[in-house]
Amino acid sequence: MTFSMRMQLFLRSFFLQTGWNYMKYQNIGLTFVMLPFLKQAYKDDKDALPSVLQRYLENFNTQPVMASFCFGALARQEEAVAKAKSLTDFKEKVTEWTGIKRGLSITTASIGDRLFWGTLKPLTLLMALFIWLMLGVNFFEIELPANTPLLYAACAGGAAFFAFNAVALFVKWEGLKISYDARENTCFGLTRFDWNKTIYNAKRIGIVLAVGMILFGVYHYLKGFEDVDVHFVTRAAIVLFFVMISFVTRKLRIPNMYLYLAAVVIFNLVCYL
Amino acid sequence: MTPEVFMLCVFAALLELDTTYAFQLTFSRGIIAAPLMSLITGDVMAGIQIGVFTELIFADVSPLGGILPPSAVVCSAVSLALNAMGIDLYFAFFFGVTGSILFSVAEKFMRKNRFKWLVFWERKILQKPNTVNRTVALALATSFLMNFILIFIFTWLCGKLMLTLLPYIPMKAHFACKFAYMAVPWIGLATLVPAFRLKAR
Repeated sequence: MTFSMRMQLFLRSFFLQTGWNYMKYQNIGLTFVMLPFLKQAYKDDKDALPSVLQRYLENFNTQPVMASFCFGALARQEEAVAKAKSLTDFKEKVTEWTGIKRGLSITTASIGDRLFWGTLKPLTLLMALFIWLMLGVNFFEIELPANTPLLYAACAGGAAFFAFNAVALFVKWEGLKISYDARENTCFGLTRFDWNKTIYNAKRIGIVLAVGMILFGVYHYLKGFEDVDVHFVTRAAIVLFFVMISFVTRKLRIPNMYLYLAAVVIFNLVCYL
Repeated sequence: MTPEVFMLCVFAALLELDTTYAFQLTFSRGIIAAPLMSLITGDVMAGIQIGVFTELIFADVSPLGGILPPSAVVCSAVSLALNAMGIDLYFAFFFGVTGSILFSVAEKFMRKNRFKWLVFWERKILQKPNTVNRTVALALATSFLMNFILIFIFTWLCGKLMLTLLPYIPMKAHFACKFAYMAVPWIGLATLVPAFRLKAR
């Protein structure tokens, strides 16, 4: 795959989820991403393009960052389909192509969801929270200080943004090349990285940061008190109550937002009783 | 409705595209979108706080396998817009969370009904492959428009309602909403710990 083609697929991959629907998911996006490659592969047989596109317009759904592995592998197999010498060979290659599309999309979705949404996103959130607290932006307090320097907002948000995208864009860019060049016994290049170890290590860092954040938050929340008085006890009780209750609601699979909305209703009722 | 609130709604509709339809470069995350939007309203600290709270309150819902989590952009935009109109942040955030839940319901409805157009566009693409470029551009434009309409209408309605009711809201309600707002970071942080639990190596 030439550099310009790789770049085209890479840039177009940012629109994979445009036109997402519950019937065929990312099918329009996949067709949009692969179109330049298909035009090149079938430049001598333009009449074949509609039947090729028919395959791409079938169901497709995966995690958008990890999708680059699918693009590379599908491009490689599409070349084999385009060069098929007989009808039997063509049918075999198309069946293989369908298998790759189905199998690889599920595998990459599973890895991508765990790595990007399940680990990297909360990890970069914690990183941003730590940076803000270090800079003295105490978001635990309702009374906000006026005229917060713009740099403070940019620092933490920017750090989270760059940390997430450094990994995501690297995987997106390299995934295209690795899966296109991959040998058959490497699961389309997925075995090049130890995903489980990466996720495991990131989660280990995450759990340390999350516990540290709670302790740091408790310190920031209660540091203004010199004596243990009724206000101190009230604040400490609120913290403890909500930490405990959100563990329970998580077990019951009730999302946080409903706990917050319930808290608004319950506190209003308590205030009026 | 001031020009800055209108601009905020336009900017929010643009940022919301990043959630699913274009880029996914995390511009739509609470901690990034809210401080960016607060540049329009001028209250950066409110932007940081709303961003952090939004991200923490929605930290336990991920976009896995077609699940539609409530939009962090909508929550931040509605909260910051109402705050810019003079409504207290703890009331504004309540409407922000409600708005984002309603937005995800509307988005689900749109996604369910979009495939009705799909047959038409697929036929066009098969006839003329380059039509896919137009399809993508059109899908982005309509998504932006729908985002803007939904965010604008909800913000306008909530703003009108709150500005009318605000003088009559008793102090007890202020106190109760403030109390619930204070709990948000703790609810969020407590769910982050189990989110990192180590299942397997």
